[in-house]
Amino acid sequence: MGEAMVKAFRWWWGILLAFLLVALSRFVLPLAFINEVIIFSIYTIGCSFLLGRVGFISFGQPAYLAVGAYGTAFYLSYFGTNPYVGLLLGVLSGLAVSGLVGPLFVRLRSDYFALVNLALAVIIYYLMQKVLADITRGDNGLWFLTNIVATPVLDISSPNQFFIFALLVAMAVWAFYKYLDDSIFGACCLATKVNEDKLMFLGYSNYSVRLTAFIIANTTTALAGAMYAVYLGFVSPEITSPARAADPVVVTILGGTGTLYGPLVGAIAYTGMKDVISKLIGNWELFIGFLLVFIMLAGERGIWGTLQPRLQALFSRNSAPAAMDDRATKRP
Amino acid sequence: MMDTQLLISGILFGLSIGSIYFLMAIGLSLCFGLMRIISLDQLLYYSVGAYITYSLSLATGNIWLGVLGGVGVAGIVSFAVERLIFRRIYERELTFSMITSFGILIGGIGVIKFFWGVVPRPVPVPTLAQVGILGTEVPVYRLIVVAIAVLVYAGIWLFLNRTIIGKAIRAGIENVEHVEGLGINVSRLFTITFIIAGTLSGLAGGLHAPLIMVDPSMGLEVLAFVFMVVIIGGLGSIKGTLISAFIVGQVVSLGSLIYAPLAQMAPFAIMLLILLIKPTGLYGSALLKR
Repeated sequence: MGEAMVKAFRWWWGILLAFLLVALSRFVLPLAFINEVIIFSIYTIGCSFLLGRVGFISFGQPAYLAVGAYGTAFYLSYFGTNPYVGLLLGVLSGLAVSGLVGPLFVRLRSDYFALVNLALAVIIYYLMQKVLADITRGDNGLWFLTNIVATPVLDISSPNQFFIFALLVAMAVWAFYKYLDDSIFGACCLATKVNEDKLMFLGYSNYSVRLTAFIIANTTTALAGAMYAVYLGFVSPEITSPARAADPVVVTILGGTGTLYGPLVGAIAYTGMKDVISKLIGNWELFIGFLLVFIMLAGERGIWGTLQPRLQALFSRNSAPAAMDDRATKRP
Repeated sequence: MMDTQLLISGILFGLSIGSIYFLMAIGLSLCFGLMRIISLDQLLYYSVGAYITYSLSLATGNIWLGVLGGVGVAGIVSFAVERLIFRRIYERELTFSMITSFGILIGGIGVIKFFWGVVPRPVPVPTLAQVGILGTEVPVYRLIVVAIAVLVYAGIWLFLNRTIIGKAIRAGIENVEHVEGLGINVSRLFTITFIIAGTLSGLAGGLHAPLIMVDPSMGLEVLAFVFMVVIIGGLGSIKGTLISAFIVGQVVSLGSLIYAPLAQMAPFAIMLLILLIKPTGLYGSALLKR
């Protein structure tokens, strides 16, 4: 029994420590900032998984974010008042949409995949802004903050308790992705990225591995969208605008592609820089664009990708072998 | 039923918009075919071309001079970007170039905002003359745009089939190592192709400027359509790009006559349909691996 506990602790301690730090930062940093960071990191982890583990570059993440957000928003504006039901519906609509487009998209070569996915984001933008303007109220967006009722146990209509809720959800998401990384499925994902022929010879189907990974990642993104909707009480087509398509990719690379804590570190760094820089010079695109180019040219390992090996050397006694792979960054 | 006048002006509108998409998609397609990069920054050269057209035509009063200047500046900018950035990443995998070029695009939009601000700027149409076709008055400028696109296609065709550099580019699309083995300077070939692509994107921006308002994120607005043109036609194929630009232009234009909001969505549906049948687009080659 004791041994099982130790084992469980060794598995969990990274996640616990990371989110303990986030929880403690609550006393130093403004609440709005931390809530934003947590949701953003959930938004990014799907993209990081797709890019680092499966080898799909997805500029289309905002599409699924918007699907999740609007799934929640429609329920809360027109049908019900319970935010938990809204969240559930947001996630389910994300699942439905990625299950619908997934079989088509994952068949494509990675270059076509990237283009088609970005096109999907733009199309959903038009859909929400113009085609469905009667329901979504176009650019004005849907406001439903007053529709959300207080829930028993954990009242997520208040920002303070939403923070606790978001923290718990994020921990669950991280545990899930850590589990995926350890599982055979995670190994299959990496194999389909590195060498799909070999995976095929091992008797796995590249198609179903990719499809499952695609659906998992995009449902996570839809969850982030649903959380945005409940937290802000407002959704507009702006969340899927093409100018923001790069956000999750930037954060992924900033944090360290394919690493477990990269999205969290990246989200903190990105949101922090965004706040500071938009106050200082107000020209956000200029900065983020050249930052992206710089990181790519400087070796694309990101913050966590650079820090992790050093931390591991520091705590080498109780750490697992490096999970990050540097392979497959060069063209085979 | 639609009346003929509406139909004819609709078709012409589609042709002109398709011409713009064609000019931009050629760049993406050529860059992919030869260098195996997805150069999203073509959309930046489009904006640069449009803004230089705006500023020069404001300063000199002649829009054609502006377009010429826009083409030139777009070419110079693309040359600089190729030398400074793309030179280092040709060897990397495809996603790498896509992320980097998206960074260039977003950063470039920031630079444009820095110089010109965020307010949309109007560019006057060079000629307001109308000409009658089958009893319909159509604006001459749109006809000129179509004519320029046709000339560019002819020029590109001649360049790729009749000149030694063009032949080397076509050979490079098939197999770049063999071309290198023949003693041809491949890196210069890449630079030339990239400049051609950037120049054509700049031309598209300059020609499109009088038809729309010039604003910093104009590149992102056409992004989806240019992508669809490239995907439907098949990456790396000029002929496919021409045909799909024609299709997308007509669908957008004629679709908006039937039900306006649907016009934005229809090309996407067509794209999905074509990808369902042929995952590499109409004329895309089966699997280009290197």
